[in-house]
Amino acid sequence: MEIAYYPGCSLKQSSNLYDSQTREVLSRLGISIKEIDDWNCCGATSAGKIDDFLAIAMPARNIGIAEQKGFTEMVIPCSACYSRTLVAQKKLADDPDLNTRINDGLFRKVKGNIKVSSILEVLARIPKKNFKQKMTKKFKQLNAVCYYGCMLTRFPIDVDVPDDIENPQSMENILKLIGVHALDWNYKTACCGASAAMNDPDTALMLMHKIIEDALERGAECFVVTCPMCQMNLDVHQDKVCEKYRINQRLPVYFLTELIGLALGMDIQDLQIDRHFIQMADA
Amino acid sequence: MATALNYDPSSSASLLEEVMTRSGQPLTACYQCRRCAAGCAVGEETSPVTPDRLIRLLMLGEKEAALSNDLVWKCVSCYTCGTRCPNNIQTGRITETLKKISKETQKAPHQPKVGYFHDSFVKSGLRWGRVNEMEFMGMYELKHLRDKFLEKDFDGIKQEIMEQMQFALSMLKRKRMHFDFLKSIGRNEIKRLYKKFKKDQS
Repeated sequence: MEIAYYPGCSLKQSSNLYDSQTREVLSRLGISIKEIDDWNCCGATSAGKIDDFLAIAMPARNIGIAEQKGFTEMVIPCSACYSRTLVAQKKLADDPDLNTRINDGLFRKVKGNIKVSSILEVLARIPKKNFKQKMTKKFKQLNAVCYYGCMLTRFPIDVDVPDDIENPQSMENILKLIGVHALDWNYKTACCGASAAMNDPDTALMLMHKIIEDALERGAECFVVTCPMCQMNLDVHQDKVCEKYRINQRLPVYFLTELIGLALGMDIQDLQIDRHFIQMADA
Repeated sequence: MATALNYDPSSSASLLEEVMTRSGQPLTACYQCRRCAAGCAVGEETSPVTPDRLIRLLMLGEKEAALSNDLVWKCVSCYTCGTRCPNNIQTGRITETLKKISKETQKAPHQPKVGYFHDSFVKSGLRWGRVNEMEFMGMYELKHLRDKFLEKDFDGIKQEIMEQMQFALSMLKRKRMHFDFLKSIGRNEIKRLYKKFKKDQS
């Protein structure tokens, strides 16, 4: 069955490589997605700090659009968009007054039963045999650390989390299928600092250096992420972090879709991995 | 900071109630176990305020100290504190609420850049229906540079512009800068909804 797809602003701009990888990889694995029409910004983590009404109203409109088209599931690769949309859906279900107020003004009403999924949830339920059929090569010696970040398992309100909160495993399980060795480590759900990299760099660099140091101590050769903010921070600012904290090595930061894409026979140019700051050769 | 000796419960009630209602968090359930403090990602940067101590400041009615401290402004909303709280208090929501209260009181924020950043982001998202990275970063930088200009910190302005230029060039080199303009027709729907909400609130 076709799944609604919400890319979000970041996947249409600085992380548009992630948008094309998501489409290609899911399609090769037999999952059909359709971008919803005229979606709007979800407000990301900023709206909750500026205005609580907007933080719910902005994602609500997108839920309405997907539900009106008859979709029963919507996949959202960006962790911030995923978290905000899931939280808005739960909040609207729990608060009838807010629900009425927002639905009164929306052209396409929120019913509330669509399933909001992260890309990890969608990938994790693909049967093993589908991967096996489509894979053209398997990784042999790559040691990776799976970096989930904050927003896949921790939410500002109580929602059902589809993985272990402090020690999630779904990314590790997927990597196992394509032959990547996922290492155990301490910082898989730590915070990269997100927008603090721009507005409070000292804090963000401090947070990132801990993540990078633990990954290196464990013998990792790369990070694997699903969040475009985590990817951007760890990749773009890695040189700055490492210079400040005197770390000599560098680690490429791959989207999960990139490693899966490589296993499915796509190459570095198809996947646009050459647009990363840290390349495997530099590491 | 007031001591227990001159604590006046009536002065703390309004702030405490406001934060509890707006954040939706049961602050009075805190029994100071400090699991939040132990897990706080930015704890070593925000001394002496930890999430439990922020709750205590609110209970004591210390408005000034509760609004202007490093925890409120350095909190990265990773929600580790609240996820681990045995009483299900999401302290991350408290810092978010205090940022809003600080803005409403027209007080200069403790860390202006943080306020400018989120403000520019949401305004861009609201204005066009989608966030345009270059536009919102431009707005943010202008607000930040205006402060430096008023402080006559011309070296700071020069340094900030150089750093941002370098960042932009490195992004450009890897084709991570985007020049198309994003917008959504539905932005007017959200603007109308927000306008009505604001009107009903006042």
